[in-house]
Amino acid sequence: MHHQSSHRALASLGLALACFAGTADAQTPPSGRLLASNCFQCHGTNGKGPGFDSLAGKSASELYSELKEFQSGKEGQGIMAKHAMGYTDAQLRALADWLSKQR
Amino acid sequence: MDRRQLLLAGGVGVLAGGLSACGGGTTAEATLADGMQRALSERSSGTSTTSTVLPAATAGAGRVLVLGGGMAGTSVAKYLRLWGNLDVTLVERNSAYTSNIMSSLVLTGQRSLSSLQYKYDTLRSRYGVKTVFDEIVEIDPVGVKVRLRSGTVLSADRIVLAPGIAFDPVPGLDDPKLMPHAWQAGPQTTLLAQQLAAMPAGGVVVLTIPKTPYRCPPGPYERACLIADWLKARKPGSKLIVLDANPDIVTEVDNFSQAFYGLHANVIDYRKGVEISSVDTRTRTLFTNFGAVQGNVVNLIPPQRAGALVAAAGLANATQGRFAAVDVLSYASTIAPKVHVIGDASGTTQPKAGHIANQEAKVCADAIVRLFGGGQPDPAPVTNSACYSTITMSQASWLTAVFQYDGANRVMTPVAKSSAASVGWNKDNFEQMSTWFNALMADTFA
Repeated sequence: MHHQSSHRALASLGLALACFAGTADAQTPPSGRLLASNCFQCHGTNGKGPGFDSLAGKSASELYSELKEFQSGKEGQGIMAKHAMGYTDAQLRALADWLSKQR
Repeated sequence: MDRRQLLLAGGVGVLAGGLSACGGGTTAEATLADGMQRALSERSSGTSTTSTVLPAATAGAGRVLVLGGGMAGTSVAKYLRLWGNLDVTLVERNSAYTSNIMSSLVLTGQRSLSSLQYKYDTLRSRYGVKTVFDEIVEIDPVGVKVRLRSGTVLSADRIVLAPGIAFDPVPGLDDPKLMPHAWQAGPQTTLLAQQLAAMPAGGVVVLTIPKTPYRCPPGPYERACLIADWLKARKPGSKLIVLDANPDIVTEVDNFSQAFYGLHANVIDYRKGVEISSVDTRTRTLFTNFGAVQGNVVNLIPPQRAGALVAAAGLANATQGRFAAVDVLSYASTIAPKVHVIGDASGTTQPKAGHIANQEAKVCADAIVRLFGGGQPDPAPVTNSACYSTITMSQASWLTAVFQYDGANRVMTPVAKSSAASVGWNKDNFEQMSTWFNALMADTFA
C-alpha cells in the first residue's frame, strides 16, 4: 500500500465538486454505494482520500482484478488480502463498479 | 500550497506517533487550548472530498436528531446529509471530540492530547449538519423528542442515539482520579500520564481489563505492551501487573501472547480470570478473587455498559440490560422503531470500536434515507473492522474482520477467512497506523 498521490488528490477536487450536487438528494441509494463505503475509512470518503491508495475513478475492471488478486492470496497475507476475503465476488464487482464512477 | 501544507490540510501523517486501536463514543470531558483547536481545525477542515456546501434540506424533508458526537454519531450525521435530503441536528455535550484511538500514546509522551481533538466545523460548513452543544436530560423514544439542560425541547421524525459507554461503579472508588481508567480520552488520560511519569523507577503499575463486552477489545492489551516498553526505557526495574477479568486474552491472541510471555516477559505479569471486587484508593489496593494487589499507579478500567441515555430511555434490553438490542439492517431499537442505536452503545456481534462504529453509522444512514423514501433497508449490509495495535513504542500489529449479514439469525457474522491479524509486528505497521487513523478521522469529521 502506498500513500495516495497528493497531486492526484488535488486534481480530483474540482471534479468532486462537479459530481457532488447531482447525487446529494437522491433518496434511492445507487447500487454498490453502501458496500463501497466500507473502503472509505482507509481510502477516504467516496474513495478520494486522504488515506491509502485513492480508489475513485479507477476503472471497474482494474479495481475488481486488484481485489481478486488480494483475495486469492497472490499478494500475500496482508491486511488488504484478509480484508478482500470477506466479500463475495458479486460484492466486489458492485463496489468496484460504484467506485469507478466517482470522479 | 507546498506538499507539506497539502498533507496538513488532508490530515495525512502529520504526527509521527500513532497508537491505540479503537475509538468510541462521545463522553470526552475535555476542554482545549485555543491554539491547539486552531491547528486541529486547519487539519480537519482542509481539502478532501467534497469542498462544497450541500444544499439545505427542502421544506418537509425528514428530520433526524443525532445524539452524541463520537465516532458513530459524527459519521451518521455526515452521511445522512451526504446521502439524503434530510434535516440533521447533532446534539453533543462538548464542542470538540477527543479521540480514544491513539490516546494510549499520550501515556508514553509520544502524542499530545490536543493532537487528538476534532471539532464539528466541517460537519456544519461542508455538510450542513446543525449542531447543538448541550446536555441531554431526557429522551422520549415514542414521541421522538429530546429535552436539553437548557430547557429546549427538540423533536424529529427519527433519533439516532450514539452515547458511547458508561462505567460500572467500583466499590471503594471514592475518587476516580486516584485510579484513572483513561478509557474515555481527556483529563483522565492526562492524569494517568502524570501518575506514570511521577512513579519512581522500580515501581509497580497495575492495569485491569474488564469482562467483555467492553470498548476496544485489543485496547487494554496494546496499552499494556506500550506501557511495558516505556517502563523498560524510562523506569528501569518496574513491573506491570495485568489483571484480566476474562479467562484469557480476548483477541489477537498470538501477538499479545508472544508480547506478554516473550518480548515483555521481564516487565509484564499477566494474570487471567482476576475480577476486582472493591478497591482502596488510599493505599492503591485492588481486592480480587485472587487476593489483594497493590501498585504505585493503578489504571483501573471498569466493566462497561451503554451510555446512561440508553437505559434512561428504556432501551437497554441486550446483554443483561447493559446495551441496546437493535435490528442490524437499520440499527433501529427492537423496542422503539424510530430510535436507532449505533456504536459502542448497541449490543451486536460486532466489536465496540471506532472503525466499525463508522461503518455501522453508514449502514444506519443508508437505511434511514431509504425508510424516508418509502423503501426498506439494504437486505445484505456488510461492515468491517480494522485497527493497529502498538506492541512497542515504534512497532505495531494489525487486526481486521469483515462482517456479513446472516438473514436466518438476523445478526452480523464475521467471515472466517477475513478475521485475521498480522503475523508478528513491525515498524511499517506503526507508520501505517497513522495513515489509517488520519483517514478514519477524515472520513468521520471532514
